[in-house]
Amino acid sequence: MLDGLLLGLETAFTFQNMFFAALGCFIGTIIGMLPGLGPMSVVAIMIPVSLQIGDPSTTLILLAGVYYGAIFGGSTSSILINAPGEAAVVATSFDGYPMARNGQAGKALTIAAISSFSGGTIGVVLLMFFAPALASFAILFWSAEYFALMLVGLSAISAFAGKGKVLKAIMMTILGLMLATVGESSLFQAPRFTLGIMDLQSGINFVTLAMGLFAVPEAFFLAIDKIRGEKSGSKKSQEINNLRINRKEAKSIAPVIGRQSIQGFLIGVMPGTGATIASFLGYAVERNLASPKERKEFGKGSIKGLSAPETANNAASTGSFVPLLTLGIPGSGTTAVLLGAFIALNLQPGPQLMQDRPEVFWSVILSMYFGNIILLVLNLPLVPYIAKLLTIPRSYLIPFVLFFAMAGAYIGQNNSTELLILIGFGVIAIIFRFADYPLPPLLIGFVLGQMFEDNFGRAMRNANGIQFIWERPMTLILIFSAAIFILVPLIRDWLNIKKK
Amino acid sequence: MLNLNRIIALLLLAFSSAYGFLSYTYHLLPFERFLAVKPNTMPIALSIAGIICSIAILIQPKASNEKIESDGTVNRADGEYLKNPQNFNWVQGVGLLILACIYSISLRELGFIFCTSLFLFLGGYLLGDRRYIILIPISISSSVIFWYLVEKVLTIYLRPWPNWIF
Repeated sequence: MLDGLLLGLETAFTFQNMFFAALGCFIGTIIGMLPGLGPMSVVAIMIPVSLQIGDPSTTLILLAGVYYGAIFGGSTSSILINAPGEAAVVATSFDGYPMARNGQAGKALTIAAISSFSGGTIGVVLLMFFAPALASFAILFWSAEYFALMLVGLSAISAFAGKGKVLKAIMMTILGLMLATVGESSLFQAPRFTLGIMDLQSGINFVTLAMGLFAVPEAFFLAIDKIRGEKSGSKKSQEINNLRINRKEAKSIAPVIGRQSIQGFLIGVMPGTGATIASFLGYAVERNLASPKERKEFGKGSIKGLSAPETANNAASTGSFVPLLTLGIPGSGTTAVLLGAFIALNLQPGPQLMQDRPEVFWSVILSMYFGNIILLVLNLPLVPYIAKLLTIPRSYLIPFVLFFAMAGAYIGQNNSTELLILIGFGVIAIIFRFADYPLPPLLIGFVLGQMFEDNFGRAMRNANGIQFIWERPMTLILIFSAAIFILVPLIRDWLNIKKK
Repeated sequence: MLNLNRIIALLLLAFSSAYGFLSYTYHLLPFERFLAVKPNTMPIALSIAGIICSIAILIQPKASNEKIESDGTVNRADGEYLKNPQNFNWVQGVGLLILACIYSISLRELGFIFCTSLFLFLGGYLLGDRRYIILIPISISSSVIFWYLVEKVLTIYLRPWPNWIF
């Protein structure tokens, strides 16, 4: 291992490779800010360009940098304009956006940058030392365990429900699960519930739903309420640009970063789960661990609520490299695209890669260290300028938010129906918000719905019945935990309302 | 009396029932009838859960502590807007949504650059900006830069001009 590490060090830290790692981070950050272009699309777009380089190590270093940069770029649009263009950064907007609206955009972006850096870096350390061992653990997870894990992910919804809203949160999750059944499924032959609309054949587009649920209502509320629209714009730019995190804040997010780096990484290692479920679970776990006073802050601009998903999604992204590099199994959509790049470069990721091409294996891992540092160095000085976006007058900002949301749904599809569906979701979301129905659970239900049904179906087929629940101890434990996570807040909530 | 909360619960009940009906009457292919999990297994379960949950919201006693924070700050609760609707600018909000609908319908016909410039200009105008000397160049330059980035740099096709020009 030491020889390989030294060889990787030699390869990764050449001027050429360091330059391409920095370039990848920069390109990824810029393009990742555009809604609709998540890491997977950005990496896919960059593959033909990067293959021109020729050297496999440099190509993969560039693509890994793009991947990291795109995840960070997605967080920026989530925090500043409540437009999460990718499922993994949805949870970032829950506390990041309220912070930005309270005039703490600079601080929010700084926390996001530091959390991403820490999550990514700790993830790389874990990847270096435990990759082969973790890979063999990950393949012990079968459909039954995945199904149970999805259930635990769905149980995270209680974290988004305030007092008296647990039932509403459950209803919203069910609605999200229902929307996830529209269109084609990998499990069945024919598309479902399309109502004869051709555009729904491939299901509801994530970006369309996310923008409809978050960005469109935000533009509407900013437009109808001048105070809401102008408050953040009128904040002194000094306050918005302020990047400083005081000692108390640093102390409070340090354990969150530590916990979520490990948890996020372990979730990322399991093929098929990835950064999305890691970020939702990270948010839910940290909310449950917080003191009652801190818990009240979640959803209103809690620094812990921002740090948790940001750390977890970056650690999980690193974790998703474990099955790719050690087993040749892509753990997420983006790593599946990266697998394509490996094949195009005549490399076969898997157990042999470490032996046959140690310079490629180790240089990719070591470039992640460098990529994380570059992201931090690149983004921290840019934070004041990025945060200044919020000082733009409302007459420019609001149409731009709306345009940004619509462009996200339109790019790559060139389909106007998609935009009408987006506005339809936006109107429904506005009505839900008037009646105080929480919207994040709807998106969580939608994001996890497809995986939930697919894994349930596979587990049922493998076991030829429902008995897999009690035959597999890990499944049983996970389902039991999920039931507790959902039932306890529900019963407490119901009793509270009745008592009053 | 029904409040908005319960009206929505009622609508969700209707939606869950309709979804349940569609699931129950879903046409299964011959071989699908023998699968452990059929295409309508999960939807039927979801519709039952939806019906139970929406009924529970309907009959749930209204929480007396359901107070809406009306501190007039940026974090004003959304329900507040319906309490004193006269204090808010509904024309601008609804106008923007209508403008977005028109943008969606005309995007293909008018082309990206022209339609987006018009949308950004009219959006700003609707929100009370009358500084045409700033508004017009910003609207046009933003849409051109965005189009250039997407079509030329990222090579994702976006028709720039109206149908009848190219």
